[in-house]
Amino acid sequence: MSDLTKHIQPVEYYKSFLKEQVRPDTRTLQQIRQTTLNVGPITSADGSALVKIGETMVVCGVKAELTQPTVEEPTKGMIVPNLDLPPLCSSKYRTGPPSEQAQIGTQFLDNLIKISKLVNSEDLCVVPDQLVWVLYCDVICLNNDGGVMDAAVIAMVAALQSVKLPSVTMNEETETPVTNFDEMTPLKINCLPVATSFTFFERLDNEEITSGHMTIVTDADDNLFLLDRPGGSSITDGQLDQCLQRSFERTKEVVKLYNAVHSS
Amino acid sequence: MAGMELVSDQGYRIDGRKPSELRRIRCNMGVFTQADGSAYIEQGNTKVLAAIYGPHEASNNMRNRVCLDRGFVNCEFSQATFSSAERKKRSRGDRKGRDISAHIKQTFEAAIRTSLYPRSQIDIYLQVLHSDGSLYCACVNAATLALIDAGIAMKDYVCACSASLTKGSSLIDINHVEELAGCAEFSASILPKLDQIIYSELNGRIHQDELGLLVDAVSTGCRDIFAVIDQFVRSRLAETASYFTHS
Repeated sequence: MSDLTKHIQPVEYYKSFLKEQVRPDTRTLQQIRQTTLNVGPITSADGSALVKIGETMVVCGVKAELTQPTVEEPTKGMIVPNLDLPPLCSSKYRTGPPSEQAQIGTQFLDNLIKISKLVNSEDLCVVPDQLVWVLYCDVICLNNDGGVMDAAVIAMVAALQSVKLPSVTMNEETETPVTNFDEMTPLKINCLPVATSFTFFERLDNEEITSGHMTIVTDADDNLFLLDRPGGSSITDGQLDQCLQRSFERTKEVVKLYNAVHSS
Repeated sequence: MAGMELVSDQGYRIDGRKPSELRRIRCNMGVFTQADGSAYIEQGNTKVLAAIYGPHEASNNMRNRVCLDRGFVNCEFSQATFSSAERKKRSRGDRKGRDISAHIKQTFEAAIRTSLYPRSQIDIYLQVLHSDGSLYCACVNAATLALIDAGIAMKDYVCACSASLTKGSSLIDINHVEELAGCAEFSASILPKLDQIIYSELNGRIHQDELGLLVDAVSTGCRDIFAVIDQFVRSRLAETASYFTHS
């Protein structure tokens, strides 16, 4: 099939492939692109990870800073995620303030951290009421070829997993914090969530190529954290079961990757 | 940092280089699929990604910059918040970032054969992943490679290098620590084959007689960078060409 059909009649183009149960890039329908994970490429960050899923490339850097806790939660540190989709990664994005998609992605990561209790926020407390750690997780998409959230979640979790925090003591006289970089403790991660995105090809008769997508976040202990289905056509129970099953399988593969990289 | 010795008595710099020695350069072209051209460059610990989109029709907010007889360059410089020792609050649009974007735009408007692309826009996007001095220079070198990858016509390669002056002798390709030392910093972009300087900037006070020394040091540095980049481009081209020939 020529490249021209892809641009002139995208729906016909995809249909002809789907009829044969394959995709234009030779994958089967349930096949996930090759995933590579590289931890610690950026030494200026306290923890970092680079993730590639197929051609999609995402980098996450974690910076730790000391700050005052909030009045409501004096013993809790903070994790502040941020997803950046710069115009560098795709011609879809424009220069300027964060796009809607980037804000949705940031919110998604924030929800994930809170729901999965990824890190005990008490672990980030240095001196109650005075000093806590705040971990800024900045995720930058470098090449957007689809599935950015899947890559962003892996990058963020792997980067947090590689974070080592220096021990901090308070100097009683001057009331200033003293950091000791000889005593580094690794950050404790409670679970290893993995996101899997699906898209549905159903009512292909209208001009849309897909009828909405769905993202499922699970971990290897069969916990389901998030199920994000923003609109689109209705899906059947059978389809949902199939997607859940596939995402649990996927999670097991990625958790192996996390552990392999972390122990090396 | 006053009084810090940038060059030891034995003639070595803080990171162990000789005064006229560049940091190791590693580069790669065509790293992204979405962009029309892309490149990655590492100069020591400074790591920069460049992506080129275009030439394409001017986007809506750029309509006022369209020229009928030539194309225009749009440049955006962005520095990852985790790229430096202290976390940056904003990755884009701070004063330093705007400054570098504007300089890179001017540099490449002088080097690209814009008359071949009338009414078009060429986007240069730069992303710093790790910053360790000479950011402008690394960005220019990365953008040159990305433009070559995108197949955009240029008069020549553009190579940039920085230099500093300490105790009457020059240091080239300065890193972050040397930048902080507060000596005069000179950076320039040259077209090595045409032997033209298309951009130069001096920050700090030097004596008039010392300028020649800095210009010489920088142009030698640029030529060395050119040799590395040119060799890489040629080997990549030979590799690509080998796919098209029958063996």
